[in-house]
Amino acid sequence: MTTRIAILDYGMGNLRSVEKALEHIGATAEITNDADAVRTADGVILPGVGAFPKAMSRVRELGLDELIGERREAGVPILGICLGLQLLFDSTTELGGAAGLGLLGGEVSDLDADGLKVPHIGWSPVRWEKESRLADGIETETPFYFVHSFAPRPEAGDLLGSAAYGARFACAAERDNVFGVQFHPEKSSAAGLRLLSNFTRICASVPA
Amino acid sequence: MILYPAIDIRGGQAVRLLQGDYARETVFDADPVDAARRWAGDGAEFLHVVDLDGAKAGASQNLDAVRWIAAAVDCPIQVGGGLRDAESVAAVLEAGAERVVIGTAALRDPEFLDEVLAEHGERVVVSVDARDGKVALAGWTEAGEEGVVETVAELSSRGVARFLCTAIEVDGTMEGPALGELSRIAAATAGRVIASGGVGSLSDLKALAREAAPNVEGVIVGRALYEHRFTVAEGKEALTVRDC
Repeated sequence: MTTRIAILDYGMGNLRSVEKALEHIGATAEITNDADAVRTADGVILPGVGAFPKAMSRVRELGLDELIGERREAGVPILGICLGLQLLFDSTTELGGAAGLGLLGGEVSDLDADGLKVPHIGWSPVRWEKESRLADGIETETPFYFVHSFAPRPEAGDLLGSAAYGARFACAAERDNVFGVQFHPEKSSAAGLRLLSNFTRICASVPA
Repeated sequence: MILYPAIDIRGGQAVRLLQGDYARETVFDADPVDAARRWAGDGAEFLHVVDLDGAKAGASQNLDAVRWIAAAVDCPIQVGGGLRDAESVAAVLEAGAERVVIGTAALRDPEFLDEVLAEHGERVVVSVDARDGKVALAGWTEAGEEGVVETVAELSSRGVARFLCTAIEVDGTMEGPALGELSRIAAATAGRVIASGGVGSLSDLKALAREAAPNVEGVIVGRALYEHRFTVAEGKEALTVRDC
């Protein structure tokens, strides 16, 4: 049986490219916001493009905040991508501020690009700050594709990876089975597919 | 992502074809220069000009129109259609094109491709037109056997830096671009890809901006602009990448 990943649909996502990437690596992907479909999945991906406060209110309207919390308690691996990563944190300063899901410790704030043009759009090498199953087989300083104006400030224990654009910023975080990446693995060629494949393997390794 | 309004010239007029079929033509502007001025005036950053007569004849037929368009607008233009030897490529660049788009000849005549790449480098765009995942040749009137993805990968290794990929099945239909095919093509090259075919709405453009691979640098829009489904300015706004 293939590993089933639920891609959470709250109307603000780069859903199809994530779905295609997962199918490419042999996982079964389902774009959904249906609680039963999410509950039977081996893993959950929270995608997203846009502004944090609006996204968070959509997530709440659909009851996905509670569902994500419930899946996390059940030990199901969760991966946030781009805005999805940001939502996993405690809060943001974007547009006057908003609370997040609080599954990762820290705040999201403006990217400090030290005078470089924001948004940061393009490929940047990612430095792994600790060993992780998510980074398995991906050398440190491998480039990934970014499109963002904000970045998280994770608590030290949750920091997984960083990149530099003007100044160094956190771009990957991990706590237990909760993972997040600021870059877009689904648009990052072979390295991105490897990361998604690692996530799928983590999902498959958790007993149902 | 760059929006390229398309100006297809046939018999001296700006026309649109449906699925590349010369029998299903609609004339939109008696003078293609009017179309060029209109799109450039509305904010186009680049124009895509096709000499349809040239594509069919295998030699440029509307060089004067290219010259007039290039003189009439400030934005750069790329020109294709019937460019099958080094002289016609040079003539189109001479007429004011910033880039040339070559199709059939690049696939059939490796020496010609090497020659124009050596001479003009990144100003050369290779157009690969697909029907059912296979490359279509000669103004789309001949069906080919070569796979599109393999062809793009091979041309890429020969030094082609920019591709124009048209999905014939959806071209002129405004039913949405062929995103699946586009992502396979984009993954086959480290070069840039311009998508073409099927754009009918702003949501098509938003989907492209959101879902397409990073090396998809632009999209050709034809009929949707001529039928006023949206303006160039609205299209550009829809193509603006949303960040987080």
